[in-house]
Amino acid sequence: MEKNGYRKQAMEIYQFISDHLYFNRPDIEIKGERFNSAILLSLLTGLKKGKELIIGEPGLGKTTSAEYVCSLIYQFPLGVIWGSEVSGHPEQTEEKIIGRPDLGRLNRGEEDVVWTNFSQIPVKIVDEINRLPETKQSMILDGVDRGNWEYLNEMIINEEYCLFATANYQDGGTNTIIAPLVDRFDVMVESRYPGANLSFLIGKDKRKDHILRHSKYEKELYHILKYKIAYERKISKMEEVCNAYGEYLDEVLGVKSFQRQDRDQIRAEMESLELDLDASAFTRMLLAELSFCERYGQKRVVENCEEGCHYTEYLCRQIKNCASNRLPSSIKQYAQGLAWLMEDSEIDIEHIKAVIPYTLAHRIQWKDEVLSQKERSKRDDPFPIFLAKEAVKTVSQRYREQSEHLKDALAVGSKVFQGGDLEPLEGDHPLYVEVKKDIDTRRS
Amino acid sequence: MMKSPTPPKKSSILPPDKESWITKNPFEEFKTFAAPTPDLPLDQIVQSTEAVMDRIRRGYEKLLEEEAKELVWMVQYNTIIKAYEVAEKYVREVDYTAEDIEDFCFALENTQRIPYLIPGPAGVYISALCNYAMEEEIVLKLSELKTEINLIGFRLSKGKRLMIEGDTGDFTGIGLEGGELVIEGNSKNWTGAGMRGGKILIKKNIGLHTGEWMMGGEIYVGGRVRGLGNIVEGKVYERDKLVYPGKVRYPNLYY
Repeated sequence: MEKNGYRKQAMEIYQFISDHLYFNRPDIEIKGERFNSAILLSLLTGLKKGKELIIGEPGLGKTTSAEYVCSLIYQFPLGVIWGSEVSGHPEQTEEKIIGRPDLGRLNRGEEDVVWTNFSQIPVKIVDEINRLPETKQSMILDGVDRGNWEYLNEMIINEEYCLFATANYQDGGTNTIIAPLVDRFDVMVESRYPGANLSFLIGKDKRKDHILRHSKYEKELYHILKYKIAYERKISKMEEVCNAYGEYLDEVLGVKSFQRQDRDQIRAEMESLELDLDASAFTRMLLAELSFCERYGQKRVVENCEEGCHYTEYLCRQIKNCASNRLPSSIKQYAQGLAWLMEDSEIDIEHIKAVIPYTLAHRIQWKDEVLSQKERSKRDDPFPIFLAKEAVKTVSQRYREQSEHLKDALAVGSKVFQGGDLEPLEGDHPLYVEVKKDIDTRRS
Repeated sequence: MMKSPTPPKKSSILPPDKESWITKNPFEEFKTFAAPTPDLPLDQIVQSTEAVMDRIRRGYEKLLEEEAKELVWMVQYNTIIKAYEVAEKYVREVDYTAEDIEDFCFALENTQRIPYLIPGPAGVYISALCNYAMEEEIVLKLSELKTEINLIGFRLSKGKRLMIEGDTGDFTGIGLEGGELVIEGNSKNWTGAGMRGGKILIKKNIGLHTGEWMMGGEIYVGGRVRGLGNIVEGKVYERDKLVYPGKVRYPNLYY
């Protein structure tokens, strides 16, 4: 049982958004509990300092869902979040995204940077990221990845930040998101149509977002953001106002938001959760299938599978690219968040299976034949998430069949690393080959 | 961070006190794992499961070979009966469990060892497997199959209960002989045609010609009945409402 009530508080935020702000239908079931994937993953993104790509049709709440979650988790009034968003359009510039020269000082011969609200606040929302041309997407790579924002030889580093980016489906005005940027997103989720009846209610109740506005605190925060003081001091001043806004939320709406120290404590609790053996073995099995190539040593997007390969029934045969090292990290982060939220003492295979499709969907490049074979399948999810869910089902089936043997093979690997003189176990899966390679490396 | 008990390497370029930098054990969490001792060695279990599967698969292939003479597999009563007799012949010779039937359904689409999935013969064969299984209650998860299998539940006998998770194709539960057939999803046309007794429960919707030449038994539909067939005897319920026998409801009336 949790001691500090943070988990309950997080679920209350989920419920508040679900009941009052973002009307939706639950679309995933985890251990018998039903959730809406967009709110759940956004909540975890906010709490875990993650990066989320929200896709969907125009007007289905991609940006607003992120705004509500950020407002309640980071205690920022909605007006400040609106004023800190970056919108993706072809004319977007570094000066509007990151910072610009202080023209007054420049006239006096001094060089100084006026940082944008976007680069300063911990809540970062990029609206319609795929309307940014490819060349301009690279401008935000470093900031997105590490929270480092650089301009005119000056830099600010965000110690705490989360990123939400929205993307419409391809139309005349959209560009593709460059692969290095896509890979930096931990999860991709769809903001879905809530159904005709709930949609009708949304139409009736137009101004539901005003409840998260607060003009006084918004002005104060804008004022602080403009201050010419060290960034670290700005952060602590902002926190004071944010805490006051948090108290207002509690008094008026009855919903408790999180202060900075609460969020730090939650993250520490999440970090302490480890994967159990099945969760670990299953994740390794999936990673092996997404990176293995018997002929060429590993998957590479420029190399195609050979005919007559022994491993034709595994995912490696169906995909073009190799899983990046960010994938296991995203899986672990979100599974930790989910296990914490569900009050479990460790991460089990159900948490892993629930988050994997969302961490995988945007990162896999499927072969054309797989896409054409499955594009007309009956489904509820957008195509990339559907394909990722199907992949998880297939690997689960394989894991069910050989979990004990697989764990045994990994245990043998551990014993060899501890100095034991054992032979690696044989088996019909790329993971056995990977274990053998590690053992051989160790022995050589 | 785990330190290796093995002696340091001779040619290491790292200073001796930094040797542990390269000894990270990527399998550390599995160091205490001990695989439970199975009653039978794993390979034997796999082998025996594989052997059963091979025999089931061979029976299906034989059925296909015999039915291939027909060139186009037409669903006619004679064809079905003939196919069922062939299926019975092979099924009787195999000792299998309900789990093996489910594995076979999955293998129909997911392995290349089974050459064709023809929904008609596949359905006849699966029905024979269900009818001759030792278990009285069988659950088949077909929701992950892309093809809807026809003729599921053919001649399901009294005392048997077959539950299907997912949708089924045409001719579901035809010639039912007193068994109980539950479909968690939708079912297509000619469901329950010629059934003599028993119960068919469809949780969602059902197609045209429902209960054509039905001689007895009951069909319960949780969703919509798209059209009724020419029913001789028996009852059809749509969302708990009796639609046959009932007010004038012309066969295959689209409403």
